[in-house]
Amino acid sequence: MRQASDGPVLRLDHVSKTYPGSNKPALDSVSFEVAAGEFFSILGPSGSGKTTILRTIAGFERPDRGRVLMTGREVTQVPPNKRDVRTVFQSYALFPHLTVAENVQYPLRMQGMSRPERARKSVEALEHVAMGGFAARLPHQLSGGQRQRVALARAIVSRPPLLLLDEPLGALDLRLRQQMQHTLVSLQKELGIAFVYVTHDQGEALSMSDRVLVMRGGRIAQLGTPLELYYKPQSEFVAEFVGNSNMLPVQFEPDRDSYIATIQGARLPEMRSNLAGQGRIAIRYGDVKLVADDGGERRAGELAGVVENVLFLGTNFEVDVRCGELRIMSSVPASHAPGFANGQTVKVAFDLSGARLFHG
Amino acid sequence: MASLAETAAVADVKTRKHLALRIDPLRLPVYAWLALIVLLPNLLLIAVSFLSAANGRLNFVFSLGNYARLLGAAGFWRLLQATLEFSLIASLCGALIAYPMAYYVGRVASRNKALLTILVLVPLWISLLMRVFSWRLILGQNGVLNSFLVASGLLEQPSAAFLYTATSVVLTFTYVSIPFVFISCLSAFEKIPAALIEASEDSGASKFQTFCFVIWPLTRRSLAIGFSLAFLVTVGDYVTPSMVGGMSGTTLGVLISSQFGMANNWPYGAALSIALILCVSVILAIVMRLCPARGVFSGDEGGTSRAGSPAATPPTGARLSGALFYGLAITFLYAPLLLMVLFSLNDSTLQSFPLQGFTWRWYETLAGNAGLVAAAQRSVIVAVCVVLASTVVGTGFALTLHYRRGPGSQVIELLLALPLAMPAVVLGIVMVLGTELIGVPSGLPRTVVGQASFIMPVTMLLVLTRLRRLDPSLMEASRDLGAGRIMSFVHVVLPLIRGAVISGALLGLTLSADDVMVTLFLAGPSQTLPIWVFNQMRFGFTPSVNAVFTILGAIALASVVLSQIVARLRATPPLNPEHG
Repeated sequence: MRQASDGPVLRLDHVSKTYPGSNKPALDSVSFEVAAGEFFSILGPSGSGKTTILRTIAGFERPDRGRVLMTGREVTQVPPNKRDVRTVFQSYALFPHLTVAENVQYPLRMQGMSRPERARKSVEALEHVAMGGFAARLPHQLSGGQRQRVALARAIVSRPPLLLLDEPLGALDLRLRQQMQHTLVSLQKELGIAFVYVTHDQGEALSMSDRVLVMRGGRIAQLGTPLELYYKPQSEFVAEFVGNSNMLPVQFEPDRDSYIATIQGARLPEMRSNLAGQGRIAIRYGDVKLVADDGGERRAGELAGVVENVLFLGTNFEVDVRCGELRIMSSVPASHAPGFANGQTVKVAFDLSGARLFHG
Repeated sequence: MASLAETAAVADVKTRKHLALRIDPLRLPVYAWLALIVLLPNLLLIAVSFLSAANGRLNFVFSLGNYARLLGAAGFWRLLQATLEFSLIASLCGALIAYPMAYYVGRVASRNKALLTILVLVPLWISLLMRVFSWRLILGQNGVLNSFLVASGLLEQPSAAFLYTATSVVLTFTYVSIPFVFISCLSAFEKIPAALIEASEDSGASKFQTFCFVIWPLTRRSLAIGFSLAFLVTVGDYVTPSMVGGMSGTTLGVLISSQFGMANNWPYGAALSIALILCVSVILAIVMRLCPARGVFSGDEGGTSRAGSPAATPPTGARLSGALFYGLAITFLYAPLLLMVLFSLNDSTLQSFPLQGFTWRWYETLAGNAGLVAAAQRSVIVAVCVVLASTVVGTGFALTLHYRRGPGSQVIELLLALPLAMPAVVLGIVMVLGTELIGVPSGLPRTVVGQASFIMPVTMLLVLTRLRRLDPSLMEASRDLGAGRIMSFVHVVLPLIRGAVISGALLGLTLSADDVMVTLFLAGPSQTLPIWVFNQMRFGFTPSVNAVFTILGAIALASVVLSQIVARLRATPPLNPEHG
């Protein structure tokens, strides 16, 4: 079925959709392309429209306007069973009355493939997800993680050019989720299938994807590589959602021939602008530096703060600092030495090289 | 010293073992009911089948004579074949009609699902006598069908070929079967997660393939259960054949009931019952075998479909033809009933069109009928006693079985529900034997015991189902928050099961008020209302019967509406589903 490997395997062209009974569009003129073999993630909070995109690609929803194209062919009106795409459902959707092997063979059986051929392919697909020994079980005899693997095997058994995954790791515990992330990425590279992966977990999206589409309220907030999203967010929303960033209000005051940013009256000499007035800057937790207050003079651009709370996250500490009315989160690398304690006074400095400024 | 301590420890263990073996006193009432109402009467049936009778008296000598007699009688085999045939064909037709209806309501219709469901189930609340009788209005010699055919010139004169035939029995049985199959299948259709249908389509299956490989395997067991229910209900029904069947429509049930009536040969009747039960069991086992259930929903197939998605809204063509089929079936269910209401207001002694004008006189004659009033009073007394006893006992047993699970709880539960699974004619004679042996005075007390034998399990199962759906941690939470067992029960469990208790009582009320099959054996001269009406119809017909049935139907309808309102009031608002 695969053809024209240079062209996009999937293209959405100004797709809009409003559910009956709702006055707010679930999708508002969404356009993007997915290349063959690409790991493409759709990231967004609940209700942002990411699941609707997935269901539109699978064919469970018809867009009100716009087109869906697969390998150059328009499929907007094609029913789900005639589309060359498979879905891994959030709930796995394994058929409870069929064994693992029968579940995996299901799409092949629908194609009318012969029994021995089906058996061979299902064994192969189950081996891919390390579930070879479970072929004769029924779904309710498996654990959540195992069901997840079977659902994956069922989706890849007919080698579709495009696989849709709807928050497939949502129901798994942390350890299993990390294992499955590795499984998914290596499987995707091995099979060369393009993945469209829906998630609300930014860590998942950034760590696995070639490109990430960030959705907000039915619109595209930003589309880019994980690095672009992380270091060059185009909006406060993306910065906050993707980057673990503090959003701090800044005031621009006249200084010589331009304007200089101040936070709580403290001047940030490294941040200048041609515009006066209000703005907000996004500073990632890691770019907030904390120094124990030794009673010495504060340097330019430094704030005084009090540690409110410290969370130990393994590789780093997340420190919650109160500076006047502001709450600033800082990420401090973990070491054996005790870090900061609650109630401790600190000096807060900013590394503005990665900060993004949003006027308005 | 050490040995002394050891001995003490051993003694302690021994006493504990002894304690564990003792019967839980709270379960004693359960055992008592089981023994007196279920086991004893049934054992008696088996025992009596090995006796013989002479001149209406039992002869207490063991004999296989009854079985030899029935096995050798050509009449028995012919009747058995006819009985099973009628019920099988009718249940099959009922299944063919009700399964698509349940599919339509469960998976196709997007609006008014509750109404569509209730419409099919209302006939269950309406007296069986009324439903059967309404078919006489249609099929009889002066019936609607004949008057229509004569008026339209298709027939020269009214034909007697419609009523009192095997076909009319099958038709009426089919009519009775539909709600049973429907109620059983509906939940199976509704339970299939939308994500499974989507996963099937996503895998490349067409609608037809999805039906064959996903929907049918997941619903066939429920269809088999509904089919079995319909089969059981019709096979034990001796009233319908005697009303619409005539000679060619006679069944084994009619023969059995006559052994406890005019023929007065209890042992032979008991042997016939046992033969019937054996055949029914074999057939039901085959039906279940043909429709195996496999796999269990693990609970995470989940995924509710949104309104407006293609999976939730099938194409218009399918919706329209589904609605059309459903409409036709509903017409089939209601037309006879409406006809009866119509004739109860018609100013003519003939049950035929054209209507002669409006009148209340059939209702007025009812008020002056002393026999009717007395029967109605008896019905009320019986219903109140049965419902009170069944509700108290059923709720108590449900609580005992749920909170005091012990060895054999499951078996006890099944045995308690056994009367529900028995053909009505057999249950009737079993209760005759049982009440005779324990010495329950005939008349109203016997009727109460007989009806309670199958109404108590209904109440118990309803409450038990509700209890099993409760989150077990609710009780723990209540105790954790400082409430004792009794306080927890009063403030947490009771409010949560109240709805089930009330709907069980209402259902029991209609079951008691409508029962003919069991009561006919037990009532003797103290006829309840349905028995009185049944006798009226045997001895002659007045349109007043229409009026009685219309009133009964209205009461049944009112209790359905009432129970729905109670259910609505009790229903907690649904949680907002999260949309991703």
